Formats: sequence, structure tokens, C-alpha cells
Amino acid sequence: MRSELEKDNQMKDKRIKSSPLLSLRSGPYSVRIHLASLLTIVLLLTALVAVIFFALTTGSEAIPLHSVLAYLHLEALTTSSTANSTISNSTTVLSHALILDAFRAPRIALALFCGAMLACSGAVMQSLTRNGLADPSILGVREGAALCVVALILAAPGLSLAWRPAVGMVGGLASGIFVLLLARGSSSIRFVMIGISLSWFLSAAMMVLLAATDTKDLQTVLIWIAGSLQGATWQSVQLVAILFVTCFIALLFSAPSADIDALGDALSTSLGVRRKGIYMIRFSVAILLVAGSVSVAGSIGFVGLIAPHLARFLPNYSSRYHLISTSLIGAILVLAADTLGRAAFAPVELPAGVVIAVIGAPTLIILLWTRRNQL
Amino acid sequence: MSLSANTKTTQQWSNRSRVSFMLLLLIALSGLHLLYGARAIPLSTLPHALLHYDSHNFDHRVFVSLRLPRVLAMLLAGSCLAIAGYLLQVTLRNRLSDPHLLGLNAGASLAVVLVTAFPIAPMFTLVRPLVASAGAGLIFCFVLVISSAGKKGLQPLKLIFCGIAFSALAGAITSTILILDEDTLDQLRFWLIGDGAGANLNTVLISLPFAAAGLALSLLIMPQLSAMSLGDAMAKGLGASVQKVRFFSLCAAALLTGSAVSVVGPIGFVGLISASLWRGIHSRPSVSSLLLVALTGAALLMAADMAAISLFAPKELPTGALTGLVGAPVFLWIFVRRMR
Repeated sequence: MRSELEKDNQMKDKRIKSSPLLSLRSGPYSVRIHLASLLTIVLLLTALVAVIFFALTTGSEAIPLHSVLAYLHLEALTTSSTANSTISNSTTVLSHALILDAFRAPRIALALFCGAMLACSGAVMQSLTRNGLADPSILGVREGAALCVVALILAAPGLSLAWRPAVGMVGGLASGIFVLLLARGSSSIRFVMIGISLSWFLSAAMMVLLAATDTKDLQTVLIWIAGSLQGATWQSVQLVAILFVTCFIALLFSAPSADIDALGDALSTSLGVRRKGIYMIRFSVAILLVAGSVSVAGSIGFVGLIAPHLARFLPNYSSRYHLISTSLIGAILVLAADTLGRAAFAPVELPAGVVIAVIGAPTLIILLWTRRNQL
Repeated sequence: MSLSANTKTTQQWSNRSRVSFMLLLLIALSGLHLLYGARAIPLSTLPHALLHYDSHNFDHRVFVSLRLPRVLAMLLAGSCLAIAGYLLQVTLRNRLSDPHLLGLNAGASLAVVLVTAFPIAPMFTLVRPLVASAGAGLIFCFVLVISSAGKKGLQPLKLIFCGIAFSALAGAITSTILILDEDTLDQLRFWLIGDGAGANLNTVLISLPFAAAGLALSLLIMPQLSAMSLGDAMAKGLGASVQKVRFFSLCAAALLTGSAVSVVGPIGFVGLISASLWRGIHSRPSVSSLLLVALTGAALLMAADMAAISLFAPKELPTGALTGLVGAPVFLWIFVRRMR
């Protein structure tokens, strides 16, 4: 697993040498801007915007682009002729705006945030465990969060939505710390195996919980478990957005130290990295991200596994850039999967989790095949 | 010479006493399972219900159409899953093997769901166990191919990861079909979560020949498997053809898993738990070990099913969840003990 990381770094070095690097300085602060990485991010953003517009327009009620633009207060972008037509039938525009505001826009926003959160936490987990196969869904964190949230939904269905992420985080952190303590460190096979068996145990416990309780909300719980973004509201989007932004900033600031940490224990300590502190911060932030996403959107697997690997194909100067492109790819993946699940078999809706799993499981198989000599 | 003969006899004796103990336990558990339930029925009704079945007598009907099929299904599925797990463990030389973990259960479920959703032939119900076996075998072939590639060959971690990946793939396809096709979901709802409540006498009877074929196959190759436990070179020297034995053993495992899954649905960890309960059965595979594991598996599943009925009394838990609840820690325990 080490050698794989080194190979990755060597490939990165080659790319770095071949592409220009800008250095901006003002006083004690300096930023290095890597042009190829920046271009990658811009391209990913463009793709993301394209997917967002596609998702906004498609659905059971096809909404034309000019209504979407009107909803987004971007009428200036439309040509004068279409603008006239929007004025002529403003009632349809109004109803379209209602559909967009109540259903599609929050759902899309939720998909974006959840995808970015899952992808980020996957990237961090993979770098912390030095294992390219680490995924929050394999390590028991997702199941721990899910179990706690289900217990909360069943015990107190009337409770405010804001409690779910909090309780989910407690569950996720508890299971993550449990695995970490039992495995005495995160870079061994033990860690993965303990995580896997914990996730089996917790999912069995969830089945028992669901079967044992007498509930009217079973349908909501089941839809939530399948990883559907159906029940998205602006309230849940707000919650997730706050969580994502805080965690993402923490990750961005700790990324350079993590880069140095990858050089090895002795070297990073002598370079002045507080290894334990950085480790604990990144580990808990990764868990918080997964737990937050699970608590609003249910179990969407494999994003944390695929997105960092896809981002590795693109030029990334440092793990900061890698983190940003990973989160963009994660957002694109989940949104595309959700839109596909919504539109492909029109009256019936496939949960995003199922669509992602259909794509993600073969990716895991391919990863296993490419790693056949290392594992 | 005399010493080794001595130890052999003690080994056989202890195995024999283990087998008889498990047999007694299994009979006791089955009897309890038959008697226990929402409606208290005295034991004396049982022979009457079996010999002079009266369709107007409510007690008789509960016995014959509800409890007896369930007990038989658990007997069949438990022993089949346990033998399949044991065969996999011995053949792959990996104690962490189980039909559920290596993708056989998921493959069998996918095959059954596929054929239910797109019926090719009306005769399907008669060959459902065979279809399930084919699905299990196919997925397991993929798992084996991917996990045995590479310089180091078959590693436990790789095997488990491949099992997870292929199970996830099969599971995702299964749930896609089920979401899109509501009729199939209605037909298979109970069966899919690994619940004994859906068992009926017909499915048990249909699976019986396939299970028997799997059992016969595993009994036939047992001497050669036992030779293989001494190492491949020694086994070749003793006249066993290693590749052929492996192939037949995996075929038998697929057949057994398929017939079990087609009766009770995907239930995991039975093979893992029941083989880990007895010390020394992996080092010297024999017919008596096989019998012991089969009895243990059946007893285990019977106990799990009783717990599923009785723990939250008016509600019924899925049996597969209970075996998972016990099985996951057992998996961890085996793994940690091996690492030491």
C-alpha cells in the first residue's frame, strides 16, 4: 500500500515539473497557484453547472430553460424574444418557479452537498489509512450514523430535523473511535477488517430495530435508508451546507500538513508537523462529513470510494487541489445519479444510492484488479 | 504407530460424541420450535396431526401448514449453508469463508429475482434451486478469479473485498429490478430479507433433491479433500487430482447454497459460526466433521429462528438479521485470533 502511494507521488512529480506554477506573495502570506490544477477545477465547475441545469430542466414536468433562468433571476441571459414569451404566460413561469423552489432546487442542492461531503471524507479516509480501498461505507461509520438516526426517527418522529445530523454524528464518531481503538491504529489490515465486521453487525442491528419497532413511519425510514434525496427541504440543505463549509475549511487548512505527513513519520515530525493533532482533526472531520450526509440523505455508498480515484486521474498539484476536485466530482456524481434515477424510468424513481452502487461496485472491482499484487 | 492409532480413535470418539450431542440438541430444538408459537398446542396433538390429518381441526392445520414447513426449511437451510461454508473454508484454506461473505448468497438472490421478473419458462418454480445455484456459482467464480489474481495469490483481505464488491453489485442490480417491478417485489418480499415466515412445504420439497445432490457430491470428494489438507503435493502423491476436487467442492457449495437460499432467502454467517464452534475440524476434514457441521448449522438456524419469533413476541424479526448479529463478532474473533 505504501508503494502504491509512492508511485502516485512520483507520477504527480512528473506532472508538476511539466506545468507552470505561479507564486503570489504579500507580507508573510504566500499562495502558490498551479495553473493546470486551476484549469481542472474550472473545467469541473463548468461540468457541474451543466449538470445542475440539466437536473433543473428534466423531470416529470419538463421545465424550459428560460423558466429556470427566470427562477434564478438570470433573465438577462435570455434573448429578448424568449423574454417576451415569458412575460406572455407568466402563470406557467410562476408554477414552474413553484416546482423548482419546492422540489427540484432543494433536492439538487442536497445532492451537491452530500456528494461533496461523501467524496471529501473518502479522500481523507484514504489518505489517513494509506489504503486506496478505504471507504466510509466499508469502515462502519456510515452504518453507525444510520443506526442512530433510525433509532431517533423511530423513537421521536416529531423531533426537529436539526437533531438528526447531531445524533448521526454521535453514532458515526462512536463507531469510528471504536474501530480505531480496537485496531490500535488505522494503517493495518486489522483496521479494515474490524470496520467491515462492525458494519455488518450494525446493519444487522438496524434490521432488527426496524422489524422490532411498531411504526407508522416505516415507509419514510425505508426510503431514507435506500439513499433517496426525495425528501429534501431547504432546512436540511441549510444544515448540510453549514456542516460542509466548516468541515471543508478545516480540511483545506490541514491539507499541507497532511501532505508532509505522507512523507513518513520521522521526516514529518522533524519538519514540525503535529502528527497526532492533525490526525485526530482530519479523522473526526471525515466522520462528521459522512454522518452529516447520512443523516439527511440516507446511505449513499461508493461515492467516497470512486470520487478520490477519479480525481487522481486529473492534474493535482497538492492534496488541497485534490480535495477540491474530489468534492466537485463527488457532487457531479451524486447529482447525475439522482437525476438519472429520477428520469430514466420516469414514473418510478430509483434512489440515488442504488444508481451509484450500480456504477460503484464495478469500480471497486476494477480497483481490486489493479491492486491485485499489493493487497 | 500404536500412539497415532490411539489418537485417531480418541479423535473419532470425540467427534462421535459431538455428533450425538448435536443430534440430541437439534431434536430438542426442533421439538421446541414445533411447540412454541402464538398458539399453545400440546405435544400429544403432533402424532395425530401427522397420522390422522383433519383439515377442520385448527391445531392440526397450524402444525402441518405453518410450523412443520418452517422447521423443515430451517433444518434444510441450516445444514446446507453450514456444509457449504465448511467446504469453502476447507477448499480455500481460509476460515473466514462463508457463502454470504463470498457473494454466493447475493448471486443466488439475483438469479432468483431475475428469473422471477423475466420468466423464461413456466417450469421455473421446479428449478428455482438450480437457478439459484447457477447464480451463486457464477458470482463466486468471478470472486475467485479476481481475488486469486496477483503475485501473492488468494489473500483473506482480497477475498473478503471481492466478496463485498460482487455482493454489492448483485445487490444493486437486485434492488433496481425490485424497485422497477412491483409484482416481483410482492412475490419475493418475505423471502428476500431472509425470513422463515415465507417457507412452505412445496419449496422445501423442491429443493430437497438439489440439496441431496450437493450433499452426495461433498461426501464423495471428502476423502480427497482430507488428503488435500496435508498439502497439495502430498494430495497429488496420494492420488487426488487437486484441481478436479476443488472444482467439485465449489460446485457442491454452490448447489447447497442455491437450495438453501431458494427456501429461506439469503441468510448469512451460518457456515462461519457453526464451523468455528468446533476445534480441529479444519485440520482433518472427514465425513464425521461434515456431519457435525451440518447438525450444528441446523441447530443454530433453528435457535436463531426461535429467537426471531420469540424475542419481540407479537412481532417477528428476520432470521438473517439475528445470524448477522451473532456472526459479525464471530468473524472478528476468528480474524483477530488468526492475526496473533
